[in-house]
Amino acid sequence: MTSLSAAPLAPFQRALREWAQSEGVIWIFIFKSLLSIFIALWLAYRLELPQPGTVLVTVFIVMQRQNGEVLAKSFYRIIGTLLGLTVMVALIALFNQERVLFLLCLAIWVGLCTAGAARYRDFRGYACVLAGYTAVMIGLPASLHPEAAFMQALWRVVEITVGILCTGLVSGLILPQTSSATLRSTSCNRFRDFARFARAGLAGRLEPSEVELNHARFAAQAVSLENLRNASAFEDPRIRVRSGRFARMNNEFMVLSTRYHAFYQLLQRLQSSAAGREVFEVLQPCLADISSVLAPLSERLLMDQDAAAQAERLAACKHALMPQIREGRQQLSIKAIGEELMLDYNTAAELLFRFVDDLHNYCLTQASLVQHQHEREQWKFSFTPRANGMAAAVAGIRCAVLVLGLSAFWIATAWPSGPTFVLTVGLVSALTSISSNPGRLAGQLLGGATLSGLIGFFLYFWVYPLLDGFPLLYCSIAPVLALGTFWVARPQTAGYGVGLLVWFCILSLPNNLTLYDPARFLNNFLAAILSIGIAALASTFILPPSQPWLWRRLEQDLRMRVVFAVSGKLRGMIAGFESGTRDLLNQGYALAAGRPDVQKRLMRWMFSVLEIGHAVIELRQEQARLPKEPWYAEDTPWQQSIRLLGRALVRLFIQPDAENQQRALSAVEHAIAAVRETPEPRPPQFDSSPLRRMLSYLHFIRSSLLDPHSPLVDGRAAIGRPVLAS
Amino acid sequence: MAEPPLGGLSLPREIALFGIYMPTLTLLFLLCLAVGWAIDRLMAWSGFYQHVWHPILLRVSLFTCFYGTLALYIYR
Repeated sequence: MTSLSAAPLAPFQRALREWAQSEGVIWIFIFKSLLSIFIALWLAYRLELPQPGTVLVTVFIVMQRQNGEVLAKSFYRIIGTLLGLTVMVALIALFNQERVLFLLCLAIWVGLCTAGAARYRDFRGYACVLAGYTAVMIGLPASLHPEAAFMQALWRVVEITVGILCTGLVSGLILPQTSSATLRSTSCNRFRDFARFARAGLAGRLEPSEVELNHARFAAQAVSLENLRNASAFEDPRIRVRSGRFARMNNEFMVLSTRYHAFYQLLQRLQSSAAGREVFEVLQPCLADISSVLAPLSERLLMDQDAAAQAERLAACKHALMPQIREGRQQLSIKAIGEELMLDYNTAAELLFRFVDDLHNYCLTQASLVQHQHEREQWKFSFTPRANGMAAAVAGIRCAVLVLGLSAFWIATAWPSGPTFVLTVGLVSALTSISSNPGRLAGQLLGGATLSGLIGFFLYFWVYPLLDGFPLLYCSIAPVLALGTFWVARPQTAGYGVGLLVWFCILSLPNNLTLYDPARFLNNFLAAILSIGIAALASTFILPPSQPWLWRRLEQDLRMRVVFAVSGKLRGMIAGFESGTRDLLNQGYALAAGRPDVQKRLMRWMFSVLEIGHAVIELRQEQARLPKEPWYAEDTPWQQSIRLLGRALVRLFIQPDAENQQRALSAVEHAIAAVRETPEPRPPQFDSSPLRRMLSYLHFIRSSLLDPHSPLVDGRAAIGRPVLAS
Repeated sequence: MAEPPLGGLSLPREIALFGIYMPTLTLLFLLCLAVGWAIDRLMAWSGFYQHVWHPILLRVSLFTCFYGTLALYIYR
């Protein structure tokens, strides 16, 4: 390549590459979808499956841009289908003469599945969605012809399997867009962004809004990386053997960001007073050191091969940090500052040291990814998603009531399209139960379905009669499918796309023996539209999730994390605490979209919970590691005072008001005094004296309780007033 | 009695499972999936996939060979 000829081409090439990375991916997705539809539909007609529409609906529901997700979804789809099938066959066998009882049980089952979907929200939730959705799909048509129910159920399973196989093969074999690549790039980018963010914070160049924005993003990424990791394990065996390390890295990152946040808060608190600034000045050389270690991490992406070298740099920095901290302490003791400030310094130094240690751990884990097998893979603790049981129950009950109500209408009117009517409402409830704004999604589905009916009517009665053979049929429906896929590929219009595609396939796809009956078509179309409309109205008006009642509950759930930190089982607690708290925040953030005040409040609660909860967990871990010596015994005053502190914190976070805040504060002060008065025959350094470390955790809890920006302080001003309802 | 090919054991084309006739191919499909999964785990564990360009293609091809062989065994 000569530079002369390349020069005028360069901008063009760059534009082409940019296009390939943004729009190109969408076009590849559309192409792959159309190809899988082509194969699936051809097979459906060739094998003379009774409902080719089901095959295509499966293709659309499973089709995702990244093949890891396709495989994961397919896997759970099969599980969900088999589960739904089993339940339906059992129900049909039990109630084949009794439609009312059958519909009642069906409503309960669909409600349970929807609640499960709202509870899990990951791929397991997806299996729940499909268990419910397959149940209505098999059960309703079969309830009219119980004698053919078993064969019909088997046909549905065959159709779904054909759809899944076609989609999985096309998505995995042709122009694969791997989730593992996304997993790697997301985690590298996240770490670089974090390094940038941490450096800016250490240099004091961060606005409070920026801090919140970044932490919200890190929380969202922690949740999405967990999903990506699960999906990638399906797709790439190389990721699968590293799966434990990826989970561990995610957890280490969460610990890292919590630690950094704690340290940052402490620095902010120090800088707000003149005496504190003096301590801050003494810490300055350490901060400069850390900042220089972070510099290369923040400038380019950390690749697995370079991670070992960075880990060594961090280890060296850790060793250099020790004497620096001691020197700073000496400087301060020469100045004879108060006991309080000395504690501040010690706590900050301890946090700083732990922060570098966490960074070091993270880099070690990333470096271990180079190897195929590694001891760091032994990571037992998992990401524990937390959801609000109430929200899940509401979604389930809403869905069950809808199915019941519509079934009653069907029985009362003997409408020939009744099955479509009930089926659609079950389908829509299942599809929207994962969304954070089901009302809006159902509205989009309604728009898409309406359009699909109009186009479908035209195609069905004016175009299909003229066609002869599969290629022509495919050519006539391909534009509609391409439009739908194009919408699905963009998050803003995904609902319209799904509505268009799914109801086009249900209503307007010719069966092997096509029946040209306009009255039947219109009846079904009307049933679908009415049913989606009712589902949209119900999810907008019957306790929709994006409303204050759920924000308040999530806020309460966030606070209960501290209770979990105080009283939960210690083993695997850090992983459960960090991931669950972030998952809750992430849900709250999505549900409160468009309400920055609520988001800010949730964020502040998360900070407070993370700061105090994390310190409590470290305190408990420290207690669990104590050697058997008389001054650490269970009945010593300091141990008792820490137990008291735990109880006071539980009370405070269950009901944050002035009285409980005061009680917690005095408990922590009492504990600090008790720890301080305990004679401990060890050198008073962090690495040798457990009590010294405990003191710094206690001090940190105290400073966090006293923080003027903490929501606990608001609680003091507004006792019993539901602030969120404003 | 159908005479077995190659003097060995021959599989019937349909198998009764709890009173339902199923094509043997369906059962073989499930069997192949299970065996394929086991082979996949083994190869992943041994690190063989590190030398593979397109793991999914390899998996699908292996499965096809395996299933095809068994299907031919029944239908010939």
